[in-house]
Amino acid sequence: MIASFPFGWKEINTQAKSSDELQTIIPKYLIPGDIIGITSPAGNITLEEIRPAIQQMESWGLTINVGDSIGKRNFTFGGTDEERAEDFQKMLDNPSIRAVMCARGGYGFVRIVDQLNFDKFLKSPKWIIGFSDLTVLHSHLSNYGIASIHSKMCNSFPDDRSNAEPIQVETIFSIWKALTGDKMRYFARHNKKNRLGTAKGELIGGNLKTIESLAGSKSDLRTAGKLLFVEDTGEYLYSIDRMFWNLKRTGKLAQLNGLIIGGFKIKPDDPGEEFALSLYDIVLEKVKEYHYPVCFDFPVGHQKNNFALKCGIKHQVSVEQGLTTLKEL
Amino acid sequence: MQKTPRYLKPGDTIGITCPAGYMAAEKAQTCIDTLHQWGYTTKVGKTLGGSSENYFSGTDEERLDELQQMMDDNDLQAILFGRGGYGLGRIIDQINFRKFVKKPKWLIGFSDITILHAHIYSNHNIATIHSPMAAAFNDGGSENKYVLSLKDVLEGKKICYQCNSHDLNKRGEAIGELVGGNLTLLAHIVGASSDIKTKGRILFLEDTGEYLYNIDRMLFQLKRSKKLNKLAGLIIGGFTDMKDTERRFGKTVYEIIHDIVKDADYPVCFDFPVSHEQQNYALKIGAVYKLDVRKDCVTLEE
Repeated sequence: MIASFPFGWKEINTQAKSSDELQTIIPKYLIPGDIIGITSPAGNITLEEIRPAIQQMESWGLTINVGDSIGKRNFTFGGTDEERAEDFQKMLDNPSIRAVMCARGGYGFVRIVDQLNFDKFLKSPKWIIGFSDLTVLHSHLSNYGIASIHSKMCNSFPDDRSNAEPIQVETIFSIWKALTGDKMRYFARHNKKNRLGTAKGELIGGNLKTIESLAGSKSDLRTAGKLLFVEDTGEYLYSIDRMFWNLKRTGKLAQLNGLIIGGFKIKPDDPGEEFALSLYDIVLEKVKEYHYPVCFDFPVGHQKNNFALKCGIKHQVSVEQGLTTLKEL
Repeated sequence: MQKTPRYLKPGDTIGITCPAGYMAAEKAQTCIDTLHQWGYTTKVGKTLGGSSENYFSGTDEERLDELQQMMDDNDLQAILFGRGGYGLGRIIDQINFRKFVKKPKWLIGFSDITILHAHIYSNHNIATIHSPMAAAFNDGGSENKYVLSLKDVLEGKKICYQCNSHDLNKRGEAIGELVGGNLTLLAHIVGASSDIKTKGRILFLEDTGEYLYNIDRMLFQLKRSKKLNKLAGLIIGGFTDMKDTERRFGKTVYEIIHDIVKDADYPVCFDFPVSHEQQNYALKIGAVYKLDVRKDCVTLEE
């Protein structure tokens, strides 16, 4: 469904009683010939490094608009805050650009999010694509009621397409399917720690550490009635435990419809500091008093099997004996 | 109105428990001996040097039970936490504060204990002590002025700390209730029931072992959740053992903090002796202090 932009959406937003009554605005899906922008609002990246992404997207029939932040570098960042914000703002405001892919994550979007003006974007929303540090953006946009795409970014496109592994080809192609309006449908192998059940709701989520860092701000993630997915990388188990306590203690787990645990690349405990709980223990103890389905090992995260997910759009998760299915409704 | 537990007098008893990470009993021995020399008796819980074989000093139930018993025990006038680490947040919502609120006692510690300080300040308005814990007494530590500052605070002496000025300091004078502790924990509790109000207060922050980008992100969280805009004053303690990414952040940790509060209209001081290192004065959270950031020195006075 392609929703048109309802007049006075802000009023609709603030008066809505529950997320169910909120109609997420879905940007226009892409067709060959459309223009996609590439910008680097967080970490720095060179033009050379995004070449494979450019070639791949050109092969889909897209025209690429390479932003000024590509190739810029200010230490770890893709330019100064001002440069990154200016580039991102141009991408948001340029009506001919129909989608914006963030070139990579790293750290830095939160430094510029409050400097961005979303007025033009809200009048004419477009797809924004990214993950990891860009979880800030997905959460921020979901509070505006705009759908966005959580997926791999330019730095994950294989250098040599002809020699790429099938999983790389498939995950990259899932971005194109998401952008062109395919109804997404994914499967995850059964994990015996899963909590079975079926649930519907808007899909939201992203990087767990980043979600924690948004608490209390206007970009804070609202989870009631939704399907929440989380992933993280390079964190100690104790830190993951603390982050799930954060979700719980800030009320983000109590009213979920379903919980999807993606990849967690766990940093090994230091010798003598072995943590008492596994990832499964950590998650399941936080949700034991709730009754929604929970699935582990979903193919999203800092890993090869990181498929494109449409944030803000209603999905159904079916966690069944043998197989988990996530499908867009 | 802020409640202040009764100050200690010789013969009073201090409970020692580990509500978070594991600590071997011998590592707390100097601390216990020193507390005896100061004229106190101690009651040592089983979580110190317990039988736990993992990260924690005991199971959640064991740690909670012991903490609860000590908080409710009328024979104890203070509880000194053996160490921090991680774990108080796992049990904090199960603590029953009813008896403690009726008859408060001093709770002493820092780092992971920040969550308890904040929780008690926000929900019960009882003063607590942010200070060195048991390990700080070792290797001659019991003689240093930072550990000795705990003795003064416990005895009810009005404290006045001084430290050197720092190039990034913003001069000025502030009076307000002192709140704060470990930045990671303070960011972690934003939006939860333990969250602190900072308006009109003097906030102090310290941290250790974090990546610079993460310090930046946590400060942005405090800023974006409006914790930094109406402070009376800001005290930046030690940010020790900072880590950087392969692509360098490009600023020192104090420059990162300075950039975020440089337009603030309140006094700010850097490198105040509150940290994970030896430099760690005892501070009463919830008590009213005067912070005076001058050209040549910084004074924090109760």
